[in-house]
Amino acid sequence: MALLRLAVPLLLLAALWEGAVALLHISPFYLPPLRQVLGSIYAFGPAYAQAFLVTLGEATVGFVAGALVGVVSAAAFHHARWLRDMLFPLFIASQTVPVIAFGAIVVLWFGNTLLAKAAIAFYLTFFPVTVNALAGVEAVDPRQVALLRSFGASRRDIWWKLLLPSALPRIFTALRLSAGLALAGAIVGEWFGASIGVGAMLLAALFNEQVVAMWAAILAAAAVGGTIFGVVALVEARLVFWRDEL
Amino acid sequence: MKDAADQLDQLLTVGAMPTARPKLALRGVSRHFGAVQALAKVDLGIAEGEFVTLIGPSGCGKSTLFNIVAGLLEPDAGGEVLLDGVATSLLGKVAFMPQRDLLLPWRNVLDNAILAAEVEGRPKREARETARAMAADFGLKGFESHYPQQLSGGMRQRVALMRTFMFDRDLMLLDEPFGALDALTRAMMQRWLLDIWSRYRRTILFITHDIDEAIFLGDRVVVMSARPGSIKLERRIELPRPRDPALLTTPAFNAIKRELLDAVEEESLKTFAAGAA
Amino acid sequence: MNAALARGLGGGVLLLVLWEAVVRLAQVPPWILPPPSGIVATTWLVRSALLDAGAMTLFEAVTGYGIGAALGLVLAMLLALATPVRKLVLPMVVVVNSVPVAAYAPLALLWFGTGALSKIVMVAFIVGFTVFLNALDGLLRVDPAAVALLRSFGAGPLGVLWRLRLPTALPAIMVGLRVSTVRSMIVAIVTEMLGSQKGLGWTIFEAVLQIDFLRVWAAILVASLISLGCFAAVSALERRVVFWR
Repeated sequence: MALLRLAVPLLLLAALWEGAVALLHISPFYLPPLRQVLGSIYAFGPAYAQAFLVTLGEATVGFVAGALVGVVSAAAFHHARWLRDMLFPLFIASQTVPVIAFGAIVVLWFGNTLLAKAAIAFYLTFFPVTVNALAGVEAVDPRQVALLRSFGASRRDIWWKLLLPSALPRIFTALRLSAGLALAGAIVGEWFGASIGVGAMLLAALFNEQVVAMWAAILAAAAVGGTIFGVVALVEARLVFWRDEL
Repeated sequence: MKDAADQLDQLLTVGAMPTARPKLALRGVSRHFGAVQALAKVDLGIAEGEFVTLIGPSGCGKSTLFNIVAGLLEPDAGGEVLLDGVATSLLGKVAFMPQRDLLLPWRNVLDNAILAAEVEGRPKREARETARAMAADFGLKGFESHYPQQLSGGMRQRVALMRTFMFDRDLMLLDEPFGALDALTRAMMQRWLLDIWSRYRRTILFITHDIDEAIFLGDRVVVMSARPGSIKLERRIELPRPRDPALLTTPAFNAIKRELLDAVEEESLKTFAAGAA
Repeated sequence: MNAALARGLGGGVLLLVLWEAVVRLAQVPPWILPPPSGIVATTWLVRSALLDAGAMTLFEAVTGYGIGAALGLVLAMLLALATPVRKLVLPMVVVVNSVPVAAYAPLALLWFGTGALSKIVMVAFIVGFTVFLNALDGLLRVDPAAVALLRSFGAGPLGVLWRLRLPTALPAIMVGLRVSTVRSMIVAIVTEMLGSQKGLGWTIFEAVLQIDFLRVWAAILVASLISLGCFAAVSALERRVVFWR
């Protein structure tokens, strides 16, 4: 059933693509036929597979680090009001900084490594998770906390048994958003001199004005995004099975 | 010789009357929130094994009193809360059940019931075994693995009560536990609670809005005054136990109800007038 | 001044002082991390060029933002009314949206050239998506009982949209608009970095090529200030519009 829900829009989109190209006589400069794009991916299979894996790795490292830092910051902000007052405005300000502009500097710091792209992905990921985790923790019914305290629960007990599980639905909402942001960070990070990866492929296609290669790279990006998103959704379904509203 | 007999007699008397030292005693307990006085010099004693019900107009400081007894709030200086004659922090010493069931949606019935036991550090497996054995008493047999979302209001409330019972304390505080239930379920839950109470024999302080419920359940009904809350009236209920629903229509019951209604209404009017002024 | 504000300002000042101190004491070379004072000084030095570039980027961002927000909102309202179309279109929109917008930037450059148009299109694209998804979510998250009540008063679908769905969705729409402000600046800069002759993204790109990292930081500072300004403006508007929150 879930597979069907995924397959139907994909197939519809593919049909729409092929149909539009054929019926509306769209110039291949704008949209080459899907067959041609898929054919190109097939022809250079190993190269695309490598790009897929490299970008997936970069995005995943940044994503996981961002998720962890986000939840830990939320915990710290919840327990220490002064820390929150002091750092949260900086967190917000940090997000108005066009991080992408940092790409060059980050690559300077970390060299042309996985870490450089992961750092950018991290920067984009941690903030939504912090905000949502904090909102989730603050939304817990104070009576629920009072009840646990009446049982003699420690702060630690309350965090692990009540606050964190309660915040999970919102944390996962942020994670689903962050999955895309982490990928964007990895792709743009690759624009600063990387030779392997989906972002590097996009750039190469732009310089060579190869529309087919560009669309192929976009599909590869979609595959990376879909993979991260899918894993997040699977984990969410396991952990937050009890969530009653959508 | 006579002196010795006297002494012996005294000892025997003490032994026969455990109520001499109450389970819970409040002495001159007051509480302010800023300029607002919620409680004014509350004196109240509850004997071991007694079922005391507490009623009062809304906003009379019932929840403040409750939170103090649960150990979640400190009384103002000068007031004392004694448990078994000792003034200590009550946090973790009283089994407390709030108005809403507050079940955790990611835990099934058993795991919700053992929450308090788990916090105390009891091994989960052992606690689950105890809970499993208690499930039948609480009408939850066959529902051990259900999640709260799958249960009716009455059942959820029974899970919450089971959680309170599993937090093995001599004193239980129940804050309008049946307030959200429909009238039929509520009547059934009341009889069921009396049944459980007679079997597990705990000391209970039970808050309610419902005078019928207060009389039907309690050994003693305590009426609180309008804010600032204090004890306006204490009425011992000498109706025979076990009690059944027919009791609700007897003249004896109605006489008590009349008496209590007068007291509660007088206080409600004060609150109302204060609100209108 | 309240305590939270004081602490927030304190945190900012502390960060700047620490940054300055670490750079000076450890003698970090400016190409790795320049001190804040150096960044401010450089910004002042090349202020007229940065202002020009900032104005260009802001123009692209604001124009794209306006177009995207309007399109997103209208599309969301249309789809809120047309349930069968929505059920068909929405999953496809989600699939298209799963590719980060940055990945489409090379296409936009190829199609629309290296002038302002490609940036405006890209900004409109991301703002449109963000506003569309937020607005649609808000428009559909209406209490069915409230819809039934309005319909019992004789309201048609348009009446329900106007009197119930839009006001209900307003907080969600405003969140979409607020989130979009920062994204519109980022996307304009990213697209400029890939190909343009003007703007902050181009300034950054040029400075990187010339290994003038102080100028990179100066451009980032200006971009951040513009973003922060737009963000604050939209947040203020949000508080006015959604006053009941």
